Order: sequence, then C-alpha cells, then structure tokens
Amino acid sequence: MAQTESCHVDNISEEEKYRLLEQVIKDYQYNEDNLIQILHYAQSIFGFLALPTQKFIAETMNLPFSKVSGVVTFYSFFNTVPKGRHTISVCLGTACYVKGGKKIIEKLNDLLGIDVGQTTEDLRYSIEIKRCIGACGLAPAISIDDNIHKRVNPARLQSILDQYE
Amino acid sequence: MKGKILNAKDLLTIREEYNRFKEGFSWTVTICSGAGCVSSKAGQVKEQFMKELEKHNLQDKVLIKVTGCMGLCDAGPLLLIAPENVLYCYLTPEMMPQLVAEHFINGKIVEEFTYIEPQTEKRIPYIKDIPFFQGQEKIVLKNCGELDFNSLEEYITRDGFLALDKALHEMSPEQVIEEVAKSGLRGRGGGGFPTGTKWKLAAKNESDQKYIICNADEGDPGAFMDRSLLEGDPFNIIEGMMIAGYAIGATQGYVYVRAEYPIAIERLQAAIEKARASGLLGQRVLGSNFDFDLEIRIGAGAFVCGEETALIASVEGQRGEPTQKPPYPSDSGLHGKPTVINNVETLGNITTIILKGAEKFREYGTEKSPGTKVFALAGDIHNTGLVEVPLGTTLGEILFQIGGGIPHGKRFKVAQTGGPSGGCITGNNLNVPVDYESLAELGAIMGSGGLICMDQDTCMVDMARYFMDFVQEESCGKCLACRVGTKRMLEILERITQGKGQEGDVELLIELAETIKDTALCGLGQTAPNPVLSTIRSFRDEYDQHIRNDYCQAGVCGDLFISPCENSCPAHINVPGYIALIAHGRPIDAYNLIRQENPLPSVCGRICTHPCESKCRRGQLDEAIAIRDLKRYAADEAFKLEDPLSDPVLPKKDKSVGIIGSGPAGLTCAYYLAKLGYDVTIYEKHEIPGGVLAYGIPEYRLPLDVLAKEIETIKRVGVKIKTNVEIGKDVSFQKLKDIHDSIFISSGTNVSLLAGIPGEDLPGVHPGLDFLRQQDDFTHEDMNGVIAVIGGGNTAIDAARVSLRKGAKEVHMFYRRTRKDMPAHPREIDETLEEGIFLHELWEPIEILGTDRVTGIRLQKMKPIGFANDGRNKVGKVPGETMTFLADRVIVAVSQHTELYYTRPYQFDLSDNDTFVVNEDTQMTNVEGVFAGGDVVRGSYVAIYAIADGKKAAQSIDMYLGGTGELYKGDAIEIPMDINETELEEHERFPMDFLPPEVRKDNFQEVAYRYHRLNAMAEAMRCLRCDYRI
Repeated sequence: MAQTESCHVDNISEEEKYRLLEQVIKDYQYNEDNLIQILHYAQSIFGFLALPTQKFIAETMNLPFSKVSGVVTFYSFFNTVPKGRHTISVCLGTACYVKGGKKIIEKLNDLLGIDVGQTTEDLRYSIEIKRCIGACGLAPAISIDDNIHKRVNPARLQSILDQYE
Repeated sequence: MKGKILNAKDLLTIREEYNRFKEGFSWTVTICSGAGCVSSKAGQVKEQFMKELEKHNLQDKVLIKVTGCMGLCDAGPLLLIAPENVLYCYLTPEMMPQLVAEHFINGKIVEEFTYIEPQTEKRIPYIKDIPFFQGQEKIVLKNCGELDFNSLEEYITRDGFLALDKALHEMSPEQVIEEVAKSGLRGRGGGGFPTGTKWKLAAKNESDQKYIICNADEGDPGAFMDRSLLEGDPFNIIEGMMIAGYAIGATQGYVYVRAEYPIAIERLQAAIEKARASGLLGQRVLGSNFDFDLEIRIGAGAFVCGEETALIASVEGQRGEPTQKPPYPSDSGLHGKPTVINNVETLGNITTIILKGAEKFREYGTEKSPGTKVFALAGDIHNTGLVEVPLGTTLGEILFQIGGGIPHGKRFKVAQTGGPSGGCITGNNLNVPVDYESLAELGAIMGSGGLICMDQDTCMVDMARYFMDFVQEESCGKCLACRVGTKRMLEILERITQGKGQEGDVELLIELAETIKDTALCGLGQTAPNPVLSTIRSFRDEYDQHIRNDYCQAGVCGDLFISPCENSCPAHINVPGYIALIAHGRPIDAYNLIRQENPLPSVCGRICTHPCESKCRRGQLDEAIAIRDLKRYAADEAFKLEDPLSDPVLPKKDKSVGIIGSGPAGLTCAYYLAKLGYDVTIYEKHEIPGGVLAYGIPEYRLPLDVLAKEIETIKRVGVKIKTNVEIGKDVSFQKLKDIHDSIFISSGTNVSLLAGIPGEDLPGVHPGLDFLRQQDDFTHEDMNGVIAVIGGGNTAIDAARVSLRKGAKEVHMFYRRTRKDMPAHPREIDETLEEGIFLHELWEPIEILGTDRVTGIRLQKMKPIGFANDGRNKVGKVPGETMTFLADRVIVAVSQHTELYYTRPYQFDLSDNDTFVVNEDTQMTNVEGVFAGGDVVRGSYVAIYAIADGKKAAQSIDMYLGGTGELYKGDAIEIPMDINETELEEHERFPMDFLPPEVRKDNFQEVAYRYHRLNAMAEAMRCLRCDYRI
C-alpha cells in the first residue's frame, strides 16, 4: 500500500474509520516493526491519536498499551489532541519577541482560553510557536494558516481571528 | 521494451529505445522540481509553460523533463533550454508567454529573464558561464537536475544499473568491498568513517540475515543535500544500496526517511515500485543469484533518530532511544543482525566508484579525504542552494566564488558547519581547505554538509543559544548528561542573552560542556556543546560584552538595547526618539535630544558613516530610514533660530582639564566636562579648530561656516579653545600636566604617509592630508592638468573631488584592490564617479617618474589571490603587467599616522603603529591622569567613534577627579509614543535635495544642500519605532 495516498476521511463515521485502520494494520501484517507507519495512517484517518485509538491499535496488534503510548509520546509528529481548523503560529524569533510576541500569546490565552500547544473546544483554533517566519521588519508577526499578519497589536487580535471561520 | 529487465542486454535495449525517442525533439527543456522550486510554485510555471507551447503548437518539438534540484535555489524557479543551454531564472507563470514567444518562435534569448551575477550585476544567459556552476564537480549529483527522476529509462540511458551489473557479474562481494576501501570513501553523514571498513566488518560476520539501511533522517537545520538526492536521483540510491547489499550479504534494505520529507518519500516510493515492476528489485537480480528488496521506513519527527542505534530502534517501531556501543550495528544491528547504516550521499557515490573505478574517484579531493562533498549553502549568501565540490576546495572559494559572496554589502563573520554538532569557522580561515582533517584542526567538523554563512549582524551568543535550544528539545531524555546538562546550559545562555549574565557564567558553560561531552550516551549529547565551545573560543569578547557591559554588538539580543539603530551608534543616540520628534514637527526637541549624546549633530548629520542605517529594520521592507540626513535636518532647523538655545551647565568645579587637539574627540570630551562644571581648555595646533573636520573634509561635504557654528555651541558652555598653540613647541607637555588636573589627548592621525616608493620626493607629489589642508594655496593654473590620486579611502576620494573642483582637466584614482573593497563610503564612490572621475582598480604604484618634477607613475597590475579575514580579496602582483600613466600632479593618500613627539619625556605605552594603548573601560593611558581617545588611539577611523571616545573619556575623567562619572544631559525630553496602527505601505526614502553632478563639479557648494521640511517629516514617519514595546 503506497504510504503517501491521502485518505479522504472527512465525511465517514467513527466505525468506518476504525475499519479503515484495521485494514491498514492487516496490510502491515500486524508487525510491530511497522508501528510508526501505522500510527501515521491512524493520525491521517482520525486527525489525532486519542487514547481509545491508541488502545485499539495496541489490542489489534497484540501489544501492551504502554508500548504504543510510549512511541506516540516520543515522536513530535504525533498529536494526542486534535488540531484546530486554523493554526495560529506566533513568531517568537528575536525581533518579534522584542516587540512583544509574548504579549500576543498572553492575549490569545485570554481570548481563546487555551495555551500554546492546545486547541479550542470547538476545534476552531490551535496555537503554536514558530521560531522565525522572516518578517522581522514588521514585528510582531503571526501567521494563521498560510497568511502572515504583521505589526500585530494585541488589541486588534480579535478582529484578525474573526476573519477565520 | 516490454517485460522484465533480466540482463545487461535488456538495459542496452532500453537505452537505445530512449535515445530514439529523444531524437524526435528539437528542444529539451529541463524544469527544476527540487524542493525549493516546488515551494516557489514551479508546478504552476510548468503548467503555464506547457499551455504556451500548445498555443504555438510546439508541444511535439519540445521534450519537457521535470528534474530534481539543479542547485541554484536562490534563483528559482529555474528552466534550462537545450541545445542552447540557456538558463532562465526567477520565473513566474506570467513570464511564460513572453519566454515561449521570444525564445522558441523568435529565436532570441530573453535577457531580462536570465541570471544576474551578484558581484558584477551582469546578466549571464549560458549556464556554462555562471561562476556558481563553474566551480563545482558533480559526481554524486551527476544526474540531479539533469534527468527526469521518474524515468527509469532515462536513468538507464545514463549508465544506470551498469555498476550493479558489473558488481554482480564481474566482481565478487570481496572485490566490491576492496574497490570501495581503495577509493577511500568516508561516511558523508558527518562521521567520516571509512565506508570500506564498515562494509568489511559487516561482511565478515556470518548470519542468516543481514541488512543495509540508508540513513535519510537529515535532521540538521540547514541541511538539504540528502533530500535533494532522493528527490532528484532516487534510482542512484537504490542501485547503491543494492551494490552494498551484495557486498555485505544483505538481501533486505530499508531507507529511513524523516517524515518532514513527503516529496522525497513519494518520489523514492515511486522509484522503488518501478524498479520492482521491471524486475530489477526482487529475486535473481539481473540474472544473478542475488535477491534484494527495499522498503521505506518513515520517521516521525525526532532528530535523535539520525543516530544509528536510535534509527535502528525506530525502524523496529520503538521509541528512538540510542543504545550503548559496542555492540556496533555491523555486529548486531536491526533485529540483532549485522547491519550497515550508510548516509544517502555516501551511497550516492557507490555507482561511480564501481563503474569508473576507485582510481578515478581519487582524482578528486585530497589524499586523506578523496572525492567530493555536497554542501547546502544557506544563510547570508547570494547563491543559496546545493553545490558539490572536490574536498580540499577552500571555504573562501565556496562562499565567494561559487556562493557569490555576502549580500547587502555586509561583511562575512562566520561559516557554521555541522549544524547543532558543529562549530564556526572565522574569517582568518577562509583559505583553509575543506576536508575532514583540516576542519578538525580548527575545532570544527565537516558535518553532513549544511554550510550556513553568517554576516556581521549575527550575535554569536544568540546563535549558540539557538542551537542549544534545538538540542534541548530534541534530546531523547535517556541519559542524565544530555537531558539535564543541556537544559542547564540553555538556561545560562538564555540569561546571558537577556542581560542577566553573571561573571563566571562562561567558565560554568565550559565546565558543563566538557562534562556532557565526556558522559553523554550518544552523539547528540556528545556534540551538543560544540557550538557553545566553538563560539566561546572564537568570540569570547561577545560573551563578555553581554555579561559585563550589557551590550550586544550585533544588535540581536533585544533585551539589551532600545533599538538596533541606537545599539549600533557608538554614541548611543536615542535614534527612534529624535526621529519621532521630527515626525511630530518638533525638530528643535529632536536637536536637543541628539545633543544629550552627541554635541556635533550638524557635523555628524553630514559626514557620519551611519552604522545605524545598516541595522535599520525598515531596510528589510524597502529602504533604511535616512537617519543621518534627518539628524542634519534637525541641526539645520536649530541653526535657523535667532537666539541660541539654552544649554545648562552645572556649578563650577575647582578642577581643570587640558585637551590636546580640537577634533571631534577633543570637542566632545570638552563639551561634556564643561557641562559638568570643569574648567576646560583645548589646545589646537592649527589656526582653525576642528581637526580633520576642518582640514580633512572638503567644503562641499562640510562647509566651514557650519563647522564654526557648531564649535560655537561647544564654546558656549564655557570651553576655551586656544588656536595656533602647538604642544611640544609653544607649550611643553610637562607644563600642561602642571597646570591641569587631568589631560585628554586627541591629536588624531594628522600626518599623511607616503607609499614608500622611489620618486616620492619629487615636486608635484603631495601627501593626501597635506594637499587637503593647503588646498587654498593651489590656483586654477596649478591644478589645470591630469591629476593622479593613489588610494581608496575617504581622504583619497576627497582629494580627487577637490582636485576636480579646483580645475583639474582629468582626475584618475588608482587603488590596489577592487572597488568593492575600497574603505571609502559607497555613496561617496558613486558621487565621485558621477562627477567624471576615473577609477582604476587593481593597480599598485611602484615608482614616481620624473627628473625635476613629477611626470607620471609606473604601476603594477594586481589580482585577487585569496581571502583576507573579512572576505576582502588579498591581492598579488600579476607578473610582467605594468603600465606608465602620465600625470602632472600625484596625490598620495594611502595612510595616516600619529605625531607624538610632544609627549616627551613621558613614556607612553604605544602600539606597533604608534597609537596610544589605553584601558578599554576608562580610556586612560599608562600615565596617571592622562587619557586618550579618537584616531590617536584607534588609528585613522571615523568621527562618530572619536565622539564616543570623547564622551567615555569625559565620564572617566570625572570619576578620576572625584565625581560619579554620570554626565549632565539636562532635562529629559518627552518622546511621543502614539504609534500609528494602520497598515504599512512600502515606500522608498523621501530624500534630501542634491546638486546634480554638472552643477556641482566645479565649485565647493554643499552637494547635499537641504532637506525639505515635508520630505523630512514624511521620511521620519517611515520609522517603524523599534523602540516601542507593547
């Protein structure tokens, strides 16, 4: 099975998703060696690796749950919380940091009720830190999805966020 | 050919078929689809290109090949058209209609779409003429950027699988290993371990199963060599692995690719499937007894999995934690079986070694480091991209000839190799050959090939912090040394960059570093301290400045300064403050704010070399703010006032200070001391005060009346200036010491040196400064001829432009290096050339000709022969090439010197070029109570540093005489902080008004004659207010 086929899984039921996952595990011969590949697929199907999903994989492959969980938590690619529809990346490169990048994060904490690395309840936004997006002349900068917003004033944050459904 | 490929004959058939297929086309167009070009929308460019071809019905005449990385990433998206071999760069879909119409239909090269050489700014249409490619030797990258990575047929046409065939049918596994060992190939992932030896170790083990693994984890930030190989020439890697498998007895191979490389995974997977379908991968390869299959294993975002034991754990589906070595993978690796792990680039060399032979391979590189190395050039360099050079090429060649040098006129600072495990190579090692041994001697490593070039705006402490931050995050956590040690090191580095560094921090860092190196379990931890140790070794002063002086010289560590401009100003003027005041229509307040830190704004506003503008963040958007010109504007406005401004002075103290020399250092020191209430007298040898400002800098740059007015403001606070008094002649130095409580020496470098060549004593030969000082004595008749000026600094430029204005028929300048290496300011050089003065680069004078009077000069041609510390070219003679230049007058402006006879009988500590040696913090000489600053300490330099020295000396003298060292700067001036929130629009400078060249070249009118009030205010409003903190 080609490892880069994209899974069109937006509109299928949980049950269907688990059936797909089981098929993947079968294709990989239930072999422990292929755990990482399987986890990549599981994440594409479900969007993230919740505990039930991890348990399912452990049971299906006859592995201790701790083994699966240990691998999930080791690698940075695997998320145990879902990602929001829109990822807000706050640049904390030097210029942005100096111009108040941290204040922006604080304001986002206030407005959205979540911290860096977390996602809002309604799955609308996730916050992450980027190291430098190269817009230093226009610090502080943030990017939302692929759009870069420059010279962001915390007071204006709400109106920027409102642009993203 | 249909069906499986069973033997060498089948390979030949495919080759013939492909060549026949190619014959039908008139053109071959190669479209780069390396990762960089793909991100720059090369796909859309290709689509539009194909549409245009169809419009003109050319689609059957043009063979389109989509290839891997061509290397010149900075200029992408790229398109190469054969057979002409013209390279088109920086392409967008919108450019396609014109490209197709002109190149294919009209048969003309579209000049404006071709490559621009960064140093000469000339267009180079043919790829063979581009220096970036000329310096390279593509062995590993032989196919990358030239063949369609998807096409097995094309790969076979380019000798694909012939090496495998040769190995399987003409060589035994031992012979294959022997050939690789003979070649001297060393691991290209960074370790440099001899590949032949590694294979031998695995081969000698008996086992039912062995493995060959390709390490494509490439986690170093800044490295993209391996991905380009996989994306551009995947079959080469497959073939290399198969040969390796045959050699060691492995029938199964894995390619461990990091998850961040989806393109590489996709293209490699496609290649593997094609190879399987054609029968090349699988059982009885090419009709032999050898079975082999290959699989991809994807990583999941862990840098540590580049370490071989961690990689093996990851391939086994486990947490990527390293294990103890021994046992080494060649004895017990994947699933406990003998395993060879090789880097992608190492494997990329195998086909060449087997097909062409070890001898041929050894023709490149050095004795101990044969072959080539692929480097990923990134950072502050023009030609960022992928290059392959023979090992032993010098760093300078890579950076300046192939890389095109540093952009934006910045100076080279360091090159970083080896990523988070590596070290930095400084300017004095640009001529070191790049190979494993030489770099190790420098305390650096080759690394995997990431080569990051950094310019003068890089803070080395921040860079060390950045790498430590990275390593800390990637540390797997298994061993204490790395898990805790790197965290502690990071904490210390963060404190230092935030201005909270303490004395002893550096020693602590070194101690921690050495402990971690000794005790960490794997290569990640063992090499994590390298960037810190390397930067401490080469840039200890930067660490000390952060800790002791709260100063970040590069202007990066934002907690240590107001704004980058203020930080880079030697006098630390509140630049955003005065610019904001101008923007708000308060130029007089701006003037007063400047004068709190610099008492000579009229002067500096005209002649300062403005280091501030080179750091201006606005420059990243459109153009740096005209900080210097705005200073001049504020000063001009102040000078228009009827009544002089008030300049309060503290009550008189009972102490007096004597100052030698009324140049910028002396004037500044005097000003601040007088404001503190001291009784100050300046002793000036010449008739007019100002030093170099009066005699060295011509009227058209700094009018004498402006200088006089500025000096009036200094006198107004009580400073006494005694002109026509030469210390050592009119008054002895001892007398000065007797009547004053402290002395400040600022007599500058007032003696012009000649070049030390025969004939310099002939009439008509003048030292530069003397000429400038005595220029009024030269009549129009005296100057009406051909004037030759030797030198490339500001004095030479000034002498040339003054000569022109005084009536010279022609003025010719001769400089021993190239224009870009001239110390004079680039804008000055531009203005000089605009006025019709000739500049002859790379000529050095050997003799002045003439009998009673000068008649000309004989000069020697020079050429660049390597690199000096700062990346400027070192020059050497071109044997046999000289010329005679006829001239009526020769001005020699090559260097200037101090004149210190007057300090007798006191014994001062002096440097090799007779400048004072002073305490860095206090500016005091070795003689009690005697301070010095300006050019007399620094050698010929620029005014703003002299001003900074004068100010610092004033503080030190105050402390020496019992004060606190705090200068009196008057009341605080309130600075507007209402920052404009609206969207930013790009706009270049709102400039001053300049006299055009035809108008200015025969008179001494000020060239930059005014700043219109509206332009000045608009310019000030472009400031981004980097001082503003939310």
